[in-house]
Amino acid sequence: MADDELIYGHRMSEWTGMGPIMEEDIAYSSMAQDKIGHALANYSILEKEFQTANPDKLAFFRKENEMMNCQLVELSNHEYDFSLVRHFLFDHADFIRYEMLSTSSFAPLAQLSKKIKGELKYHVLHADTWLTRLGNATDESHVRMQSALNELWNYALGIFEPSDFEAQLIAEKIFDGEKVLQQKWIEKISPIIEKANLKIPTSSSPVYGGRKGYHTDQLQPLLTEMAEVISSEAEGTEW
Amino acid sequence: MYGGGYIQEEKQEATSQIDDAQKLAEFEARIDRGEKIEPHDWMPADYRKQLIRMIEQHAHSEVIGALPEGTWITRAPGFRRKLALIAKVQDEIGHAHLLYSAAETLGKSREQMINDLLTGKSKYSNVFNYPAKTWADVTVIGFLIDAGAIVNQVANSKGSYGPYCRALERICYEESFHLKQGHDAFITLATGTKAQHDMLQDALNRWWKPIMHFHGPPDKISEHTAKLMRWKVKMATNDDMRNQFLDMYVPKILEIGITIPDPNLKKNEATGQWEFSDPDWDEFKRVINGDGPCNAERLAVRQYVEEHGKWVRTAMMNPNQKVVIPFA
Amino acid sequence: MSKIPLNTPVLDPRIKRVDLESTYGTTAIGENEHWISWEVFHQKKRGDQHVHVGIVHAPDAQLALLFAKEQFGRRLACVNLWVTKSSDIFSFSYDDEDIFDNATAPEKQYREAAGFKVMEKINRYKKSKQKA
Repeated sequence: MADDELIYGHRMSEWTGMGPIMEEDIAYSSMAQDKIGHALANYSILEKEFQTANPDKLAFFRKENEMMNCQLVELSNHEYDFSLVRHFLFDHADFIRYEMLSTSSFAPLAQLSKKIKGELKYHVLHADTWLTRLGNATDESHVRMQSALNELWNYALGIFEPSDFEAQLIAEKIFDGEKVLQQKWIEKISPIIEKANLKIPTSSSPVYGGRKGYHTDQLQPLLTEMAEVISSEAEGTEW
Repeated sequence: MYGGGYIQEEKQEATSQIDDAQKLAEFEARIDRGEKIEPHDWMPADYRKQLIRMIEQHAHSEVIGALPEGTWITRAPGFRRKLALIAKVQDEIGHAHLLYSAAETLGKSREQMINDLLTGKSKYSNVFNYPAKTWADVTVIGFLIDAGAIVNQVANSKGSYGPYCRALERICYEESFHLKQGHDAFITLATGTKAQHDMLQDALNRWWKPIMHFHGPPDKISEHTAKLMRWKVKMATNDDMRNQFLDMYVPKILEIGITIPDPNLKKNEATGQWEFSDPDWDEFKRVINGDGPCNAERLAVRQYVEEHGKWVRTAMMNPNQKVVIPFA
Repeated sequence: MSKIPLNTPVLDPRIKRVDLESTYGTTAIGENEHWISWEVFHQKKRGDQHVHVGIVHAPDAQLALLFAKEQFGRRLACVNLWVTKSSDIFSFSYDDEDIFDNATAPEKQYREAAGFKVMEKINRYKKSKQKA
């Protein structure tokens, strides 16, 4: 979860100062901060509960094959259509995931889920508002939205790549599992996609691998860039 | 009573000169009483023109100012700096938004202003035509350029035009975070490893000249300036603002072991004025007129961004909507 | 213009990734391309009035609300926002400011609490009783 949010938040932050209109620029930036903040919260849980390295080390000093994010979030931003459709697909899954975790037997995640519910609700509202408008606006905007959806669909299904601990998580009532999440996600987004006058691609083959450390060629450059300054000094140096 | 704002074309009322003289007297008396001017008030054409020019330039400076710091947004070291830098650059865009809105109340549309920025017709602060070469540049900008801007903005927030003052109050509140995070990052480098310290010293050496340019060339108190100050469009002279900036920030630079690359910089205790080497006002003029290290890139980026956002904006346009000037 | 006279190398990795030259010198913003303006009213906490805080540009009310949330609910405490089209605001002209002049004039003291000296009268009565 933390890796997803970090990489996705990083991609969103690239829009800061580059958005299609000032008002939207500000919105995107806020969501980038929220996502990176959620990543930080999750890394902090790891540090506190499982004595891992600190969040900065986990985020800025790991290798590509140690990153567990789905490939959807690492793809470069392209144009606004691509970023927006990814935002729609990812944020609905993120929202539902945290909703499911609000009753998790693992208290820190249940607490975090309650704390950030409002932020996630806004992210989804933002995505839905834009998708339904641009899907219905002009021929160009419609075609752009549909092509982005086609291009991203299989990557989006990759969000739900089951981990090796799936059965254990379900048994211990920590998380109901990726299958349930995917089902809820499909039910939630299908009517919105229809309202946006768009069609879910008929054939699908999920892009898995991200959760096991296999990535596209777009992740490594992101990681190198993100760590350029912090890795110029010894780990632990204050910046 | 009138309603629905007013249409953009209706910028100035045609009145006789005698009317104008009386209205001018009332206008100036209002300013003398310390009252604010509001959007739909009568105002001298020159007051309107100068305010638009000033607020617009300020807005452009925020938009373009997001670029040098944006250079490091994907490379900020660690969660804390990464989040703070995104929030800061976001605020700059937010400030631009508030300022364009204030300028719009004077009758120039946001589209016109941005077009004038893209064609180079209107200017923005000269400092943003210099490159941010290292992370340390971000801390110099965040600390010292923002500090310079605050001196300017606090002064202007006591000006006479209501919408501009209201925008500046909010901006100054947010700038206090910018300054503090910049100062914090600046101190961290100054007091960090040798490489960090050297990187900061190098950045300050490169930025000192643009910083000295920041408040504009030395004042020649012209009749024009006098009039703008009487109208509370301009609230302090360039020299006064620069002097105030040096008073406040030179000690903060020196106290943490960073030096200033001007051997002649010192305060004349008798006059209270800072003395310094000529910061090369010819270069200032050259850069203003387009020949700076990053002028072309800054405008090219804005053009790219506007062009690639165009499909989003035009898709959502509704020709049946009535366009009016914002109210306040 | 086809070639940008860049004096220095581009340093921002985000900008290095795009083809800057593709749009150089060709961009112009069309009239009203930034949409109409909406006036924003902000409520700080339940029980407070909604107060005007500024404007946003948006194509419709829903997006205006989203944008208002960002620009005016991002850094200020907020529980609710209203937006309304600028073109739907009606106001007096400042030229008519004088119609409000006498709202607080001394002659209108008869509708102020301070215009009534109740205690004076009570004390006068009590004094007269004591004497009697």
